[in-house]
Amino acid sequence: MRIDVQDLVLRYDTVTALDGLTFGLAGGKIYGLLGRNGSGKTSLLSILAAFRRQTAGSVRVDGRPVFENGAVTSRISLIRESGEAVDIGTAEEALSYAEWLRPDWDGDYARELMETFRIEPKKNVRSMSRGQRSAMGVVVGLASRAPLTMFDETYLGMDVPARRAFYDALLADYMAHPRTIIISTHLIEEVSPLFEEVLIIDRGRLVVHEETDALLSRGTSVTGPAERVETFTEGMTVLATERLGPTASAMVYGEFGEERRKRAAEAGLELGPVAMQDLFVHLTTAEGAR
Amino acid sequence: MRFPTRLLVNNLVFAFLVWVAFCVVVALVAAVVALFGSLTQSAWEAAAQLPRWFALFVGVGLVREYLPMYIALGQTRRQFGTQAAVTAALYAPFLAALMTVGYLLESVLYGWADLSQRLGRVHLFTEPTQVPVVFLEHLIEFLAWLVAGGFMAAAFYRWQGGGILSVPLGVGLILLGGVALGTELSLPFIRRIAFSDPGSLTVTVGIGLGVFLLGLALTWAIIRDVPLRNTART
Repeated sequence: MRIDVQDLVLRYDTVTALDGLTFGLAGGKIYGLLGRNGSGKTSLLSILAAFRRQTAGSVRVDGRPVFENGAVTSRISLIRESGEAVDIGTAEEALSYAEWLRPDWDGDYARELMETFRIEPKKNVRSMSRGQRSAMGVVVGLASRAPLTMFDETYLGMDVPARRAFYDALLADYMAHPRTIIISTHLIEEVSPLFEEVLIIDRGRLVVHEETDALLSRGTSVTGPAERVETFTEGMTVLATERLGPTASAMVYGEFGEERRKRAAEAGLELGPVAMQDLFVHLTTAEGAR
Repeated sequence: MRFPTRLLVNNLVFAFLVWVAFCVVVALVAAVVALFGSLTQSAWEAAAQLPRWFALFVGVGLVREYLPMYIALGQTRRQFGTQAAVTAALYAPFLAALMTVGYLLESVLYGWADLSQRLGRVHLFTEPTQVPVVFLEHLIEFLAWLVAGGFMAAAFYRWQGGGILSVPLGVGLILLGGVALGTELSLPFIRRIAFSDPGSLTVTVGIGLGVFLLGLALTWAIIRDVPLRNTART
């Protein structure tokens, strides 16, 4: 589903959560939505799912407004940690409502996921552990097969095997049933291999919207003898430097053209990729705090 | 509009199970009173104070539990509002029917035990076996309590602590329901309308439905653009 966000503003009393956000997503991909705490990720997703109305600006999904538009909202799923999609009675009761209200619901797949996450159908959702409630959200989010599916920090409380199972299930189901998926997360290194495009927002504004590969190509690690690394990176934007004896490794932000690569090779320096998390920290940290 | 089958059936089944348990408890209490004291009036009438609170909390649950779930599952507030209104409109008569059946069961049991099923309060009916009027009284009562619960829950959901301001209005809806029955604010002119006028039942039904519709309108005014609260503990 195509998403067009134009000059989006959301204010809570005196706090501006989204400050003139504008972007477009072509759809049919897995998007990563990154941002620090309070950056506006949840607010943005809430507006995309019609959980709340924006203060100003417009949000269109497949060209149509979202808020109180049943034809559109029935095709959108947002799963949050707060669990409003599953907090009704037992697990099987919660799924029965999802089955009833979701037009593309796949009951067999939901049962399969329940087994994967070891969720007891007769157990009351509210009495489940945090991880199990998160897994319930994952079950509803995936089995709804909504053309626009969004997960907002859904993994919280899930242990490592459960999170792996979630990523595997998400990828497999996305391959079998392509749709637009947006994942908001703080576990950047763990989830970023899934992302095809990344949006980074900070203080309610869009900082980056790029394909994952393009974003990663903006960072390079330079490793070699400390003095040579220092000389080579002079004038560049160095995110961080680590030293181990006479060897240093600097993370550099910015385009790295052929000429620079050649110079590095001549200087005996090794070039490598930088983790998305490091780029994220750089892009969302205030100048003074760096 | 899609008929709210799942919402209605789940709530009706739950209400029926609660009613069965309630009948057993009331029968046991009545039996104990009859054995060790003197049972001179309808136990079901005395126990009928509780089901209206049950109706109030069902109204609360409809908004507090189901509104966020509906929106999270891709429905609009309007779709939820319509389904919740239909559910309430059918749930209240179901509860009223259960209450009426309760009186009839009690009548049979009192008959076997040779006890008097005397009424201790003012009602639209004078005998517990006047089925249509017993049903009507409870229907109007449950409609008012259900919608009052939904209205106050909507206010608390939207404004949290500020929802306290809705309590006088919610109580007002319940009192208005009582006015329709002549059991609350029993002023002379109200009693005249409710009991003396040949068309009094029509007026009673009119006021009762008016209270229900007013409550729905007030609730809709609150939920029509209510944001979903984020209760995540991050």
